[in-house]
Amino acid sequence: MWVEFGQTLLRRMRGQTLGWSIGLGLYALMMLAFYPTVLEMDLQLHMDFLPDELLAFFDTIAIIGTPQGYLDTYFFNYMPIILGILVAGMGASLIVADEERGTLDLILAHPISRMALLGGRLLAFATVLAVIMGVSWLAWTLPAGQFGMDLTWIEFLLPFIGLFVVLLLFGSLALLLSMLLPSSRMAGMVTGTLAVGNYLLNGLANLDERLEPVVRFTPLHYYQGGMAVEGLNWGWVAGQVAVTVVLIVAAMALFQQREIRVGGEQSWRWPKLTRLVRRAPVEQAE
Amino acid sequence: MAGETALITEGLEKYYGSVHALRGVDLQVERGGIVGFLGPNGAGKTTTIRCMLDLIRPHAGTIRVLGLDPQADPVAVRRRVGYLPGELNLEQNMTGEDALRYFNQLRGNRVDWGYVRQLVDRLALDLKVAIKNLSRGNKQKVGLVQALMARPELLLLDEPTSGLDPLMQQEVYRLLRGAQAGGTTVFFSSHIISEVDAIAERIAIIRGGVIVEEAAPARLIDMAMRRVRVRFKTPVDPEALNQVNGVSVLSVDDGEVRLQVEGEMDGLIKTLAGFPVFDLETEHPSLEEVFLAHYANDREES
Repeated sequence: MWVEFGQTLLRRMRGQTLGWSIGLGLYALMMLAFYPTVLEMDLQLHMDFLPDELLAFFDTIAIIGTPQGYLDTYFFNYMPIILGILVAGMGASLIVADEERGTLDLILAHPISRMALLGGRLLAFATVLAVIMGVSWLAWTLPAGQFGMDLTWIEFLLPFIGLFVVLLLFGSLALLLSMLLPSSRMAGMVTGTLAVGNYLLNGLANLDERLEPVVRFTPLHYYQGGMAVEGLNWGWVAGQVAVTVVLIVAAMALFQQREIRVGGEQSWRWPKLTRLVRRAPVEQAE
Repeated sequence: MAGETALITEGLEKYYGSVHALRGVDLQVERGGIVGFLGPNGAGKTTTIRCMLDLIRPHAGTIRVLGLDPQADPVAVRRRVGYLPGELNLEQNMTGEDALRYFNQLRGNRVDWGYVRQLVDRLALDLKVAIKNLSRGNKQKVGLVQALMARPELLLLDEPTSGLDPLMQQEVYRLLRGAQAGGTTVFFSSHIISEVDAIAERIAIIRGGVIVEEAAPARLIDMAMRRVRVRFKTPVDPEALNQVNGVSVLSVDDGEVRLQVEGEMDGLIKTLAGFPVFDLETEHPSLEEVFLAHYANDREES
């Protein structure tokens, strides 16, 4: 398992780790530098110009002058989408992309169990995510005092924990879907769509109470964003971790039973859709 | 005796959807031998080998690899087996050395790196080049080295010389014979008959998901039909020869009769003793002809 962990962390995901850590870290520094400017603005005047629907959709925008409101509006509010798309791709590719490239066949012909392989890669995935989160956390925390954002390092850490957990959940969902859907690309796409859909649904639920019963069953309903600075709901975190564990166990069970494909063996396609598309011009010609 | 058997499959069946890929493969490979697994594309060679490593699972039948059940204990099986896939794919951004070191780590760093160097030198392989920049033949060499480097008890090689030039093919044959001399059992699939003929001590022919022949190449040739040309001193009635069990007359040309004989020659020789024979020639079929005869049967049946 540790061989696979090291290989995935230091080779397969090295580029993503470096790129996303540096990128998000620089972004965090930039947004932190703008904080004093935002505080000097007449925020109430700005709020008066914003439509009520927008204020409801981005509910923390009204408290943008507070550290938690600023953190949420400019970072944590939309990180589940940006990083959600990243983890959707990573989770979906964790095993099945290698199978599609044909490299999994030879790896699994070596003395490593499927559980160890998946376990090592999952651990590497979680570590990569933790490193990206960690760099961003440091970028917010270390210079925060100089820009007048008076939060302790623990207060800064809490929303990152919430973000990390929800991203793990989306990554695990992508992994599970990659075991069920015909390709890793499709699994990543479906997970990414679900993450974006969940984000929109969550915002719309602030506008329309009738969506509340639906949104309750979605992960982002239990994501506090920047508001976690005031205290993390550990019950919600535990719930998300539990769902993540269930998704991982299901993915492991499917991988354990999986026929490792080579050259398209055992794959499936959406029935007849592609055939219909291909046939159409021929039928027209006839 | 399970202790002396490297591989056993009994009644192995495998479906891919509606395709019945393996229809009851029965195979036995004794330890220490080199066995060629011969068959046309789609006959079930790769499927059989991948079942042996638990990469795919059969729908029926049993497999024992070195006395172990691959489904019950796949890691133990793979620890003792070296494998070269038919469609070799390696991580593109690695060098050959990176790939081999990674596979060595998966084997618990048990590989003697001096032996790896020997293999690399013999195959004239440059390990510093990125996989993505290697030719197909050189990628195949990396695959061969990773299969051989742990000195496994059993080598499962799917088309081992695919993409290699004839000189390198000969070197691979020498490597396989060397591995055998070291106690390794070699089971390799191929559709190159000359290759199987060159190194295999026994061959198994698979056709339509069933083993149709399993014997030493020489024995298969002996068992196969052979052509016999007999020149008589005077023209003879060929009907008497046609009556002999296993003999059929192909052509009659003046005093020369061409026959096809299946099985033993004894009946024909005894019959010919009653005729004024001037000359007799027997043509042994090549392994290729034996194989093609099976192909022909396959086509007729389908």
